[in-house]
Parts: sequence; C-alpha cells; structure tokens
Amino acid sequence: MEQRLQSVSRRDALKLLGAAGGGLAIAKWFGADTAVAQDLQTIKTMEPFTGPGPNPHWNSIGPYISEPEKAPLILLTDRPVQLETPRSYFRTPFTPNDAFYVRWHLPEIPNRVDLAEWKLKIEGNVNKPMALSLSELMEKFKPVSLAAVNQCSGNSRSRFQPRVPGGQWGNGAMGNAMWTGVRLRELLDTAGVKAGSVEVQFQGLETGPGPKGLGSNVFLKSLKLTDSVLDEAVVAYLMNGEPLPMLNGFPVRLVVPGYFATYWMKCLTWIRVLSAPDDNFWMKTGYRVPDKPRGNTTPEEVKAGGIKTVPITRMPVRSFLVSPDGHSKVPAGMNVTLRGIAFSGYGRIVKVETSEDGSKTWREAELGEDLGAYSFRTWEAKWTTKTPGNYTVEVRATDEKGNVQPDEGVWNPGGYLWNRIEKQDIVVGKAS
Amino acid sequence: MRKNLSALVLAAGLMLAATGTAVFAQFQSGSYGSKKENSIDQTAPAQMSSDGNFAVANFPSFAPELAEGEGRAETESFCAMCHSTRYITMQPPLPAATWEAEVNKMTKTFGAPIPDATAKKIVAYLQAHYTAENRKQ
Repeated sequence: MEQRLQSVSRRDALKLLGAAGGGLAIAKWFGADTAVAQDLQTIKTMEPFTGPGPNPHWNSIGPYISEPEKAPLILLTDRPVQLETPRSYFRTPFTPNDAFYVRWHLPEIPNRVDLAEWKLKIEGNVNKPMALSLSELMEKFKPVSLAAVNQCSGNSRSRFQPRVPGGQWGNGAMGNAMWTGVRLRELLDTAGVKAGSVEVQFQGLETGPGPKGLGSNVFLKSLKLTDSVLDEAVVAYLMNGEPLPMLNGFPVRLVVPGYFATYWMKCLTWIRVLSAPDDNFWMKTGYRVPDKPRGNTTPEEVKAGGIKTVPITRMPVRSFLVSPDGHSKVPAGMNVTLRGIAFSGYGRIVKVETSEDGSKTWREAELGEDLGAYSFRTWEAKWTTKTPGNYTVEVRATDEKGNVQPDEGVWNPGGYLWNRIEKQDIVVGKAS
Repeated sequence: MRKNLSALVLAAGLMLAATGTAVFAQFQSGSYGSKKENSIDQTAPAQMSSDGNFAVANFPSFAPELAEGEGRAETESFCAMCHSTRYITMQPPLPAATWEAEVNKMTKTFGAPIPDATAKKIVAYLQAHYTAENRKQ
C-alpha cells in the first residue's frame, strides 16, 4: 500500500514566482537541479508473509493489535493468542508487563479466575496433598524474588532455513521480569514427596476441545525430580511488582530460571508428583530437540530417521542490538550509542562484543548492571559512524560457562534453539 | 536591484508557505498522508467490583481472508474448530508435503474430527494456495 505525497515542483515554483530574472537567486534557494533535496518516503505496510527465505525483519510481520491488559503488540495468532513484543521494548532490562509477549497452545484460556474458588493443588505421590488459595500462598510461605528471562523455545523460528512450520516468531518472543513468589521446593517439601517419585508435572487452566489423552485436550509439562532447576524454580504471583496479566498466566505461573518458557506453566493450578515418567504429548513428542550439539540436524537426517531426541531445557546464549534499529539513517561522523541486551540460560553474561567490519575485529561493549544470572543484561557501545555508506553491526555475547554465540544458524524440525549472532544493517548518510 | 530580488524571493517563499507546502533544497515540510487503517483504538477501562472475580474482556478475533478457491469453505470451518486460520496465513510458503503432514498431524495426533475426504480437500486447497510456487497473499 502506498500513499502518494504531493509537493510543489521547482517548475511550479518558478511559475508562481513569474520572474525569470530571479534565476540565480532561485537556484540558490531551490538547489541547482532538483526541486527537493530528497524524495519523501511513502508509508508502506509489511508484506503479508515472508519466505521461503528467512524473515529479514527483527520482529515478525503481523499487524499491531490490542488485547486486554496489553499495549499494542504484534499479532501472530488470535486463537489461541500469540503476540510478539516489539523491538523497542527491549531498551530496558525489564520488559513491561503490558508489552510482554504471549504464547498459548490451546484455545480455551481463562478470561476470568475467581480467587474465592481458585486453589493451587499439590497432589499425586505426596504424603499430604494441599490446596492453597492465593492468600495462603502469599502469607504462609516466604516470598522470594528473582529476575529471569522467559523465552519461547521457538523464538526467532522465522530465521530457519529451510523454514519450518510453527509460530513464525521474529526475535520478540522473549521478556525479562522480576518474579516474586514461593519456592517450588518449599511447596514440594511441605506436601512431602513420597519415595519412588520420579517427576513433577505442571498443569494450568489451558485446555482445548481435543479428545482426552491427546495434546489437543490439555497442556502438561514435567520436570525430573532430580533436576537441580527445581531448587531455583518459583511459583510467582508478582511480575515486575504487579499481578500477572491474564494473558501471561494470572494468578500464578511457574518460573524456571534458565529454561525455555515451555516449562513456565501459566495459570498454574496443579502440581502433580508422578511415580512414572510423563508420556503425554507435550513431553514425549512436543518440545523435543535432537540430542546433538546445539540441537542441530538437517532435513536429510530427519528424513533418514532414527535421530535421538531429548526434551528442550536451557536457553543458549544470545544478544541483541536494540537501537539503532536501522529504521533511520545515521549522519556520518555522529557518535551514536549502540544499545542492547544479552542473556544465557547457562549463567551470567560476562562479555558482549560488537563488530562493524564483517567480524574482522570485535570491540568489547560496556555491560549494564548485573541483575542476576538469568536476567537480561543491558550493554552499550559507542560507535562513530565514519564515512557515508552501508554498514552492518554485529553483536555476540559470552556467558560465564564460556559459551559464545556462533555465526552459524541451527536447524531442527521444531524450529528451536536459534542463537546465531545478530546482524543489523545501518545506512550512514552524508552530514555535510 | 539585489535588494528587490531578495524581497521578491521572500515574498515567493511566503506564498509557498501559505499553500501549505514549502519546497526548498534544504528541506521539505508539510506533506501529510492518510493512513487511517493503521490506527488502533484505545481500550476503555473495565468495570470492576471488589469480589474475588478477576476478569478481562473477550480476546478479540481477527480472521484473515484466505485465498479464494476450491476447498476454502472446508478449510475455514474445520480448521477453525480448534484454532484461528491465522495459523495458515502466518506460515511461510511451505512445501506441499509439509501441508499434508500438518493436516495429518491435526487429525491423527490431535484427533481433529475431519472426515477423510474433507481432509484431502483441505490438503489440496493448502497445496494449491500456500506453497512457494503459488502463494500470493
């Protein structure tokens, strides 16, 4: 869609002036050859789809839409609701609740929760099953707070080559919040996990019209009781010091620091201790990655079959340039500040580097405040834009375990674990 | 003479400004477009009471326009039993075999009650409008 913008041409202006004798002065005022210094840009909306090549944009391409308790976000799907956070919200280490991305699996998600009735149940293979109201959760257990990144397993899926079906996220299926709630371990200890238990299963208020026993009926996720992440997991009733938006899991959601969001059960209502491994669809079939370095495979290997898969767990190290975002030209010689965020599911970010010469040289960026091992960490770097032309700014992060972002993509049929070095084209224009 | 010229140019500049569109080598201003379809209405504050009910408004629906063709009605009605047809338009162009696998996943893995003949029609429709060779919208 284009909008033609009208302007008065130089010829019209001359006519209007009606004075050929003023030619010299006019040339000085209007420029020698052109009526305007630069053509105005027309407003264009995004293309309706991207592919079969990779999505070239930072975010996905859907329209902005307005959902309850939310700022305008980018629509992927409306039923169930999937919304992406626009890039500019990542300038700060904490993502505002109203801008936090949304991803549900099944269409029946709550518009209403009655806290007079609602209880969090801890059941299954425990000594003392419990049903706790929100008041009891808030008052009977010690509140703890931690900053942690929640990222969809399929964040950046639209970068995959060849493309894979699924939510075609750009980079905005992630967010960081200060989560406050009760330690999962304290709840499990209070209920008393019986000997012979192997996993703990989480269920929220999300259901679908599918037949009982299938993945289309209920969304369930489980973690092994031997997984040390259970010691860090929190049942959160506060998100950035506010109640959770309904679309982000009101009244409580599970926080699993360092792990992909698939385990962060929204509207958490059942914590179920299991004496046998969970073989429901969302563990046995969904959210699995090849048991290979980076979860990387090829379409040919998948076709040949026999690839061993494991449930997805921790998030590989990533970093992003948030601004400048390439939507505006930068004047040559200007000292601009490159700003962004970095995080890793394997621990603290210890280094962020930028390159403006095609990965030949890397400069270390200045890191922002350390808000915890699983938080976004902001970074910034000065960049003097030099001569006019087209530039590409690259950014890569290193975490405390020594994991560095690679310059190679990843491929697996689920579209998971993308963490390639991000690159942003920036046009530098003449400043004189 | 020089003074007169300056005065003339100044007058012309004022005339141009008066038309709402000033054109100079240095800058151009005052051109507006109309893009009403890009606007999003603000949501009005909700009515609330102090009971235990915590409720939000209905989640809005945005059904996309699917490509016209044989099988569109079946695709719209059967797929939309469980999810928005935006799941179709959101995808990149996918190979014909992938569309078939997707429909099979819905019926076999997720138990969607779609008669075999209808499922075949839906597959054919998706393959006719949403692959790299033929996708237009």
